[in-house]
Amino acid sequence: MTGNGNIRLLSRNFGKSGQAGIETAEQRGAYAMLKKAVRMKPEEVTALVKESGLRGHGGAGFSAGMKWGFIPKDTFPRYVCVNADESEPGTCKDRLILEYDPHLLLEGALICAWAVQAERIYIYIRGEYFYPTRIMHKAIEDARAKGFIGDNILGSGWSCTVHLGTGAGQYICGEETGLIESLEGKKGWPRLKPPFYPAAVGVWGKPTIVNNVETLAFVPRILEIGADKFAALGTPKNGGTALLSLSGNVKRPGVYELPMGVPLKTLIYDCGGGITADRKLKAVIPGGSSSHILTAEECENLRLDFESVAAAGSMLGSAAVMVIDETVSIPRLMVWMTRFYAHESCGQCTPCREGTGWLLRLATRIADGKGRRRDIDDLYEVANNIDGKTICALGAAVAWPTKSYIKKFRHEFEALVKE
Amino acid sequence: MPKIEIDNKPVEVPAGTNLIEAARLLNIEIPHYCYHPGLAVVGSCRMCQVECEHNGRKSIVVGCNTMAADGMKITTSSVAIRDIQRGVLEFYLQHHPLDCPICDDAGECDLQNYYMRYGLHESRVDLDEKRHKHKVHDVGPTVVLDSERCVLCSRCVRFCREIAGVDELGIFGQGGNAELMNVPGKRLENPYAGNVVDLCPVGALTDKDFRFKRRVWYLKRTPSICTGCSRGCNIYVDWETERSYKNPQRRIQRLKPRYNRAVNEWWICDRGRYGYRTTDGADRLTAPHTKLESNGGPLAVSSVIERAAGKIKATLDKHGAKAIAVLASAHSSNEDLFLLKRLFVDYLKVQCVDVNLGKEQKGEEDGILMKSDLSPNRRGALEMGVQPWGGSGLPGDEIVAGALDGDFEVLIVINHDLTANLAPKQLGKLEQHCGYVLYLGTHVSAMNELAHDVIPIAVWAEREASYTNFQGRVQRTWRPFDPLGLAVSEWEVWRDLAARLGLELKCDSPPEVFDSIGESIASFKGLTWEGLGAGGKMLTGVSESPYRKVQSPRPLAAY
Repeated sequence: MTGNGNIRLLSRNFGKSGQAGIETAEQRGAYAMLKKAVRMKPEEVTALVKESGLRGHGGAGFSAGMKWGFIPKDTFPRYVCVNADESEPGTCKDRLILEYDPHLLLEGALICAWAVQAERIYIYIRGEYFYPTRIMHKAIEDARAKGFIGDNILGSGWSCTVHLGTGAGQYICGEETGLIESLEGKKGWPRLKPPFYPAAVGVWGKPTIVNNVETLAFVPRILEIGADKFAALGTPKNGGTALLSLSGNVKRPGVYELPMGVPLKTLIYDCGGGITADRKLKAVIPGGSSSHILTAEECENLRLDFESVAAAGSMLGSAAVMVIDETVSIPRLMVWMTRFYAHESCGQCTPCREGTGWLLRLATRIADGKGRRRDIDDLYEVANNIDGKTICALGAAVAWPTKSYIKKFRHEFEALVKE
Repeated sequence: MPKIEIDNKPVEVPAGTNLIEAARLLNIEIPHYCYHPGLAVVGSCRMCQVECEHNGRKSIVVGCNTMAADGMKITTSSVAIRDIQRGVLEFYLQHHPLDCPICDDAGECDLQNYYMRYGLHESRVDLDEKRHKHKVHDVGPTVVLDSERCVLCSRCVRFCREIAGVDELGIFGQGGNAELMNVPGKRLENPYAGNVVDLCPVGALTDKDFRFKRRVWYLKRTPSICTGCSRGCNIYVDWETERSYKNPQRRIQRLKPRYNRAVNEWWICDRGRYGYRTTDGADRLTAPHTKLESNGGPLAVSSVIERAAGKIKATLDKHGAKAIAVLASAHSSNEDLFLLKRLFVDYLKVQCVDVNLGKEQKGEEDGILMKSDLSPNRRGALEMGVQPWGGSGLPGDEIVAGALDGDFEVLIVINHDLTANLAPKQLGKLEQHCGYVLYLGTHVSAMNELAHDVIPIAVWAEREASYTNFQGRVQRTWRPFDPLGLAVSEWEVWRDLAARLGLELKCDSPPEVFDSIGESIASFKGLTWEGLGAGGKMLTGVSESPYRKVQSPRPLAAY
């Protein structure tokens, strides 16, 4: 749960109690960057974020500054929506920001709202995050009392309110359009696109910037240390650091803050203390449960930034690194993974609704040793029929890992099936 | 107007047209379940995926949510697309019950049709793996749901919300457990509920009225219009006269909406949908009868007409035309009313002709389709001049009052039940004071006892006729089957009556009468029977006014 080395942009307070109060936060310099931002022109703030190379840490890794720039010029009101619906298996970093540094998030969201001239911020927290929700409520109240939220913020003439919304605990409410639907009081089903992306048509049909908690929390730090310095921390295309959720068969699982592009081995061995019981590494899932699995050989020289992981055949996603040692059965892993997605499929579009359950049945049959040889091919083909044919990315989120498990560990499946 | 190519065929379509509609223009079908042109686009069935090449990019897109753009090249039936369609069908059929032989939608089920066209795969699913859901769920007074057969296209949910404006159905549960159900505490009982059955692409929502009564392939289909109110919704009459098993005396099996953008789009109300039952009701008038003779033998319509002609002639000779009154009906067609007006007003100079009776039943009216005026042709009567302010004399109520006062020797009543409006004492007075009452009606009523002569007339489904709706749109019916018993069309009565009075109305068929209307009534100028076509034509000088703006397919939040 701690950072590593000297780079602690977000994780300064992680694990420290009593740091979430506004007085303490202000003593540490909270809201100083908001004061700085409102003295800048909104477009200057956007330009700064663009220069910093900050990319979305929710999963897609899209340039944050560029996203802010997509807001239509003449359409008002505009909103900022904080995606705090962290529900991808393996990912557990946003929770720490919400719990230990809520004012950092609020400050980042307010700077973003200033940059896009939004009049309202919605924070959407997943239903199961009871404790972080309570902390955020308090933080919003305190910030409002101090005048960081409300009318004429810091004398800038700009007013902005913050609203907290909680989900009912559905995975797909973390997808930005599913989140917006849920926020609007409807069932959390993703919206059909194209043509409407939230930057043009978002909450209540108005332009909305939807950013992940971690992404927004970086914004005050960018203003603090400067775009150049922030960019220099990472790789040329990936600015700054990342909160890496390390889980699985490691000695010290947790959330570690490391610069973008750090070698995977540093994370596993230096931060995580190595594989449990010093067993052999079998595979790594580098970006949350929806990413392709990478074999130990493929991970040998892997660096953790969006481009490098993509080049290795997977994705960095939410940077939730799951370590798998030699004792883990990949077919059994597939059962756990498909069970999650079959349960969480929202039921809107056919391939995902019907296909995820089918994958689960096939995977269970194989893992239980009751499968037929044909089931492996069926599993692959059903995943293929889901992949790319759905409204949102949940279909791909189950199809990609499924296909990669079979491609890379087919022998394990074959060993379990009857002729 | 974007120019695109679909399967190598060029087509130019209006801006904002999606690929499904664009392909339809070329008679190419892009299969789909959830898309309906009258409802918001949700793109959930994933059946309408096509290959799209545009601006050098090749991609697979959904036809419902992709608008035609200049230069697009669309392929609807490549190997890749066929694979996708087969894949989607395989997903659908995984848990779908394989019960086409007993499903009430067999013969008009898109799952069945598409499987034969695009699927034809061997099942990879064991039967014991099938998931089971609610089987016979009573969603409302008119509709039954079989959740297992539901493909979750959400058309019914969208219809209720977007067209009927109610929240009665919803999809509940996640993933494979998602199920269509009533919104808790609500029943599907809006006045348009029957439309969800038409919208359902499979056999999930079935109509209690039609369920298990007939196989659709035995039905014959005739276009027509609903005569339940003054809107005149376009419908199809699905009928069957050869098999009476389980349905004795029921020729119309069901009514279905027929698309007409200007009148009713894709919908009809339940009042119209289930209003057909009176067509073959036990109370239909099927034979003429009289109080004036009692020879016991069968009575012919012609002999009643003969006697009526005699009475009219004698009255004209003795008292003149002012002693004759006609209470016509706004349920009659343009042709009926035109001939009635010509015979009585133009030729016989009868001034007492009207279709309106003060205490006539009014129906419920809403801002969607239903009109309070339950007669289909009041506007037609107005155009024909069959009403007092058209110059024909007394209003209907005064005709009745005059009859009670003994002003008329001959009173002709068409489809009005005077007994419902008059006290028993007044009825006695009418009988006493009126020399001769001729009643033309479709159904048995107390008028049968009151009138001296009764002629049974055909109902809308038994005749070709045109009606003018409240907007001024003239539309026609087709004739699915013959009138019951000895019933005749009203216009035939006037033609025969005229002939017996030595007058000639020069008309032997509804088209012929209609064409004469076109020649003599200014607002019908230029209209011809043939020209009415399937969707009807507006009266001359009356501008088109669709009942509401047609929705353009738009992406909306899912439900």
